[in-house]
Amino acid sequence: MFKKSLLAVSLAGLLAAPAYADVTINGFASINAGIALDKNDSLYGYDDSLDFKNESLFAIQIMSDLGEKLSVTAQLMGRGSNDFDVGFEWAFISYQINDDWRINAGRLRTPFYKYSDFRDVGYSYDWLRVPQSVYGLGYDNIEGVSLYHTTQLGSFDSSLQFVAGTYDGIGYISGNDLNVKFNDIVGVTWELSQDWFSVRAAYLAAKVTIGIDSIQLNATTTVGGVLAGLSNAGLDALVSEIDVADENGAFLGLGFTLDKNDWLVVAEYTTVKVSKSFVGDKESYYGSVGHRFDKLTPYVSYEKEKRDVKTAIYTPYTTTLPQPTLGAVVGIVQSQNRDANTYNVGLRYDFHPSAAFKVQYSSEDNNIADVRQSVLALGVDLVF
Amino acid sequence: MNIIKTLLLLSALLSGAAIADISVVVNPANANAVSADELSRLFLGRASSFADGTKATPLNLAEGLPARDEFDSKVLSRSASQLKAYWSKLVFTGKGTPPKELVDDAAVKAAVASDASAIGYISSASVDGSVKVVATF
Repeated sequence: MFKKSLLAVSLAGLLAAPAYADVTINGFASINAGIALDKNDSLYGYDDSLDFKNESLFAIQIMSDLGEKLSVTAQLMGRGSNDFDVGFEWAFISYQINDDWRINAGRLRTPFYKYSDFRDVGYSYDWLRVPQSVYGLGYDNIEGVSLYHTTQLGSFDSSLQFVAGTYDGIGYISGNDLNVKFNDIVGVTWELSQDWFSVRAAYLAAKVTIGIDSIQLNATTTVGGVLAGLSNAGLDALVSEIDVADENGAFLGLGFTLDKNDWLVVAEYTTVKVSKSFVGDKESYYGSVGHRFDKLTPYVSYEKEKRDVKTAIYTPYTTTLPQPTLGAVVGIVQSQNRDANTYNVGLRYDFHPSAAFKVQYSSEDNNIADVRQSVLALGVDLVF
Repeated sequence: MNIIKTLLLLSALLSGAAIADISVVVNPANANAVSADELSRLFLGRASSFADGTKATPLNLAEGLPARDEFDSKVLSRSASQLKAYWSKLVFTGKGTPPKELVDDAAVKAAVASDASAIGYISSASVDGSVKVVATF
């Protein structure tokens, strides 16, 4: 009798246990096709042949509520640009300390921009892609912890986030894929939102190291070779102005959104700086205006991206450095030169309760190379 | 004469139905008043408790039901796809989960009657003594 009830109790316990590990599975996908409109154009990964893979992605998110305010979330994503190889885009544990405070730890999204957290979830915004002049920086995931504080300030919802962590991966710099490391990342973001209006500010700082030695300047010269030569000639001061070895990096982002009477306005402004390095100061912004006509939302947007060249690095040496070394140094520094503006025209059509069709035309004017390149893309974003 | 009476009655019924289409309901033991703003915050995941500080569990009707569409547009002032976009921002960043969805008015009434923290909405015609109405739209 005793044994039987013990068995019953343990069975009940087993049956009850899964109720605590409450698992939710959600997913999202984007299937996009695009083509550059001239045979010499190359933009956002498209060229002049129609491509269905470049901007397509699939993702599954598994969230398990472990009870007692603890949960674990993993987002597995396969991007067409990476042959749909599936990897963990997010993977973190979350602990709700109390009503106002929450802490997340693991692989997180770097909170640079307004749309950073859900930039891959195309369904959640109207554009076909987030504005690349601003969002194209990279370094979107960090390993670390994030502390969130949410509260009400008058008629506004305040959302404050502190983040700390590291990044170790690949960055696309001056046309090269390079090893990039951010140590001691610390950042704070603050967003105030009302029903129809929100403002946001973000500031992040880190110690930045970029492996620039492998950049090939020409068939026989690498940046590493040039820097070694300068160092041998006693010009360590110049080397330290060029290389990116544990330098102070800073990111600033400001933005606002407005959603009233079916008008949608979004703008963001960002700056990126890496001191004592060849990396030029970057400034970029965009503004977007759209209008909702029931299921149709047409929009236009304008983007600007500018990266300054730190000519002050080499001007003290123009008379003293011999060629071809001077040419190489100037080449490294000038490789950062970027000045482009882009306009986009697009449409979102909510043709299904869980899916949206989008089409977007983008035209980028590169003021340095004096070329205009255009891409037409269309596709479907869905959530499930 | 009869036709006019019938028409009058019919129009009264129709306009009556349009005045109080949906009723927001809580457990009879719940003494809190709920304003339209609080209601909107609860169903958008921006608040999680009633005025007295006790936990609130919002319950939605399933997508596609007329009362759900009415609630979305009248109380939350958003279309179904706007709300889906809104929740996808929270769900895929681990910041929130949408209210649980129930299949019909009967399921909402049963859940609200048995849970002091529950708050849901049903067609006003379905209201009975098992739940307490705190607002109508």
